[in-house]
Amino acid sequence: MPLEVLDGSVHDVTGPLIGYLGAGALLAGLVMGGFSALLSFWAGGQENAVMVQVGRRAFYAAAAMAVVAGVLLETALLTHDFSLAYVTEHTDLSTPMALVAAGFYGGQEGSLLYWTIVLGILGSASLVASAGLGVRLAGYAAGLLAVILSFFLLVLALVASPFDLLSITPPDGLGLNPVLRDGGMLIHPPVVLAGFASFAIPFSFAAAALLAGRSDAAWIAHTRRFALLAWSLQTAGLLLGMWWAYHVLGWGGYWGWDPVENVALMPWLATTAYLHSSQVQERRGRLRTWNFTLVIVAFLLVVFGTFIVRSGIVPSVHTFAVSSIGPWFLVFLLLCIVFSVVLLTFRSGTLGAGRAQPTPVVSREGAFVVQNLLLIGAVAVVMWGTILPLVTGMLGGERVVDASYYERASGPIFVVILALMAAGPLLPWRRAGAASLRALRWPAATAALVLVALLAFGVTSIAALVALPLAAGAAATALTEFARAVARTRRDRARLLPLIVRKRRRYGAYLAHLGLVVVVVGVAASHFWQQEKDVTLTSGQSVTVGGYTLTYAGSQQRQAADHTEDVAMIRFGDQTLEPSRAVYAGLGGQALTHVAITTTPLADVYVVLASTGGDGSASFRVFVNPLVSWIWAGGAIIILGVVLGNAGERSPAAEPVRRRVPATMPA
Amino acid sequence: MVPAVTMVLKWSIPAVIVAACVGYLIYSASGGTTEYYLTVSELRANHESGDVRVAGVVQDDVQKTDGGLRVTFTEKDGTASMPVEYSGTLPDIFRPGITVVVEGTLGADGVFHARTLLAKCPSRFSTAPYTT
Repeated sequence: MPLEVLDGSVHDVTGPLIGYLGAGALLAGLVMGGFSALLSFWAGGQENAVMVQVGRRAFYAAAAMAVVAGVLLETALLTHDFSLAYVTEHTDLSTPMALVAAGFYGGQEGSLLYWTIVLGILGSASLVASAGLGVRLAGYAAGLLAVILSFFLLVLALVASPFDLLSITPPDGLGLNPVLRDGGMLIHPPVVLAGFASFAIPFSFAAAALLAGRSDAAWIAHTRRFALLAWSLQTAGLLLGMWWAYHVLGWGGYWGWDPVENVALMPWLATTAYLHSSQVQERRGRLRTWNFTLVIVAFLLVVFGTFIVRSGIVPSVHTFAVSSIGPWFLVFLLLCIVFSVVLLTFRSGTLGAGRAQPTPVVSREGAFVVQNLLLIGAVAVVMWGTILPLVTGMLGGERVVDASYYERASGPIFVVILALMAAGPLLPWRRAGAASLRALRWPAATAALVLVALLAFGVTSIAALVALPLAAGAAATALTEFARAVARTRRDRARLLPLIVRKRRRYGAYLAHLGLVVVVVGVAASHFWQQEKDVTLTSGQSVTVGGYTLTYAGSQQRQAADHTEDVAMIRFGDQTLEPSRAVYAGLGGQALTHVAITTTPLADVYVVLASTGGDGSASFRVFVNPLVSWIWAGGAIIILGVVLGNAGERSPAAEPVRRRVPATMPA
Repeated sequence: MVPAVTMVLKWSIPAVIVAACVGYLIYSASGGTTEYYLTVSELRANHESGDVRVAGVVQDDVQKTDGGLRVTFTEKDGTASMPVEYSGTLPDIFRPGITVVVEGTLGADGVFHARTLLAKCPSRFSTAPYTT
């Protein structure tokens, strides 16, 4: 297309150039991706190692094209190239450069491109590491990854291109909504999007293993590694989202059961189930079909979530652009579902039935199975709440549920999972005898102690009286494992650290369990004992909420380039809290609240400035949120446990295979 | 060796129990808490006595009292409108012209008493397209 000068002015040549180059990179990537998909499937079926290698390289090339497109888009953003519609619609000259850079994933098209890049890079890494899996499986996995990558490149190239040009280059862009002008914007979206993208990898290797008819130890180790990566990214993404909502939105909470949150939670729950049940396959060679199903379901939930989030078909606090990509994702979702169902129905038989040894329900594997069923039950609860408006909308009156539905339906499920966390790790594989049941005495005693303590403090909430003792029991169980390690090293006169390092996967997992208990305590405390008070104060007046006294010390107005800010000063002990309210004149007078939060050992004091009056008075909403900081700390412990537990894990090819399950090829 | 059928039966029992419990939880929890999600005209056309959620656009007559913690305004969709009364902190982006979802009951006086007020959040996925 010639560089026409539409409005008679001299056109900046770099703009259209970046637009054309970017669109070209996407198309080239699409061609390479399609080529990789066809070649990899064919070569995998033929077990042609050379052609599988070529197909894999074509995937790397497609991924590289996505990266090139990303570099071009970021360049356009950072140089304020407003000839691109995307740059104009998501940034302006006054936006700080860090947020301009974050504009990359700040919109529909850019976030899809970001997703594609993550898929390309992680997919390439998984293919590099797939050498030990055999030609057929590696070929099929590359083919499946290439199909998924090509789908995204197709949508980017044809429907939602970030490189669309405006006919006239405007002098300035539209900018980012002030609510999003926050440091959280720099970390939460990239992590959560990367988490979403990475679920495609375990899916591709699971489906490839079904196609190739094998599920041996090398496959489990490879799939588990990338499932762990996806799970860790999603854990971090969920927690960062909660942290951001808590610190920015000013409603005193961190989780609202909005569809956007729900669709991020569901694949996390399914993958949590997989990470536990895959151990049953590693140790006992069982639950193979079930493990495949979990990995596949996690990916389907991701595609479903993407469809829900980006089509705007369910009512949400978030408004989504009414965009043309909804139908594309719906078709992709339906194809994925059909493919997965057909695959699981016709190919799971090729995995060989598990040896039918009697397995009692009271055993480690029994605990894993029940935990898995409960996690899937939790997915069902969340799914029903999320799609209820769709289902009822088709039948007549559109109905919605509120947070209390999720709490009442999923609360009991999570409580039983906590009980399993306390009991399961102490049960031996195969059969639990009286001796192993005796091991449960420590968690049971701890739970009883905490229950008595709560009753002594006058706690009457049944939910708190059930959840907190069970959490304490789960913590006791994890600590018992560490205590056993200490006892064993003392007995053998060995050093503790080498034992923990050698069995790091086990101890990392218990550390993650401890982290989860810390999160649960934080969630329970802030849920059951949050206090809230609306108050209007004149200068010098005090208010006491939940035992914390705050004194209002007047307010002042500060002028900034693009906004005016009313700042209230509140004395709390020797600290001064400054909740404020900014008004952006340029954006139709949109207000932006800055919450003031101070963390004490037992609770966060969370102050929101509602308004300032002409007479020097000010109205506040004050929350006291017990133990919210435990949620963030516990999240960090979980991630630490997973990372330490799996760092330097030997590659499956180098590891002697403990129990190779014979790959039964179809006749 | 135990026949596969026995194994399937044995493991189906916990599965069926868990499924039944989850089903019951979903049923009992959604029984009391589902609400109709309506537009203003739908609410006008078909008066619901219980709690409902109503989506509509905030009109220009926003009045704040009690230091900004109490607000009254008119919510309108394409054809119908209704007065709304709400106490509490307002979302930052609350102003005339935005879409809000109020949750509460329509009183006999024709005023909607909102317990919660949600503004449609400006998603990172949506900005108005640039028009010249």
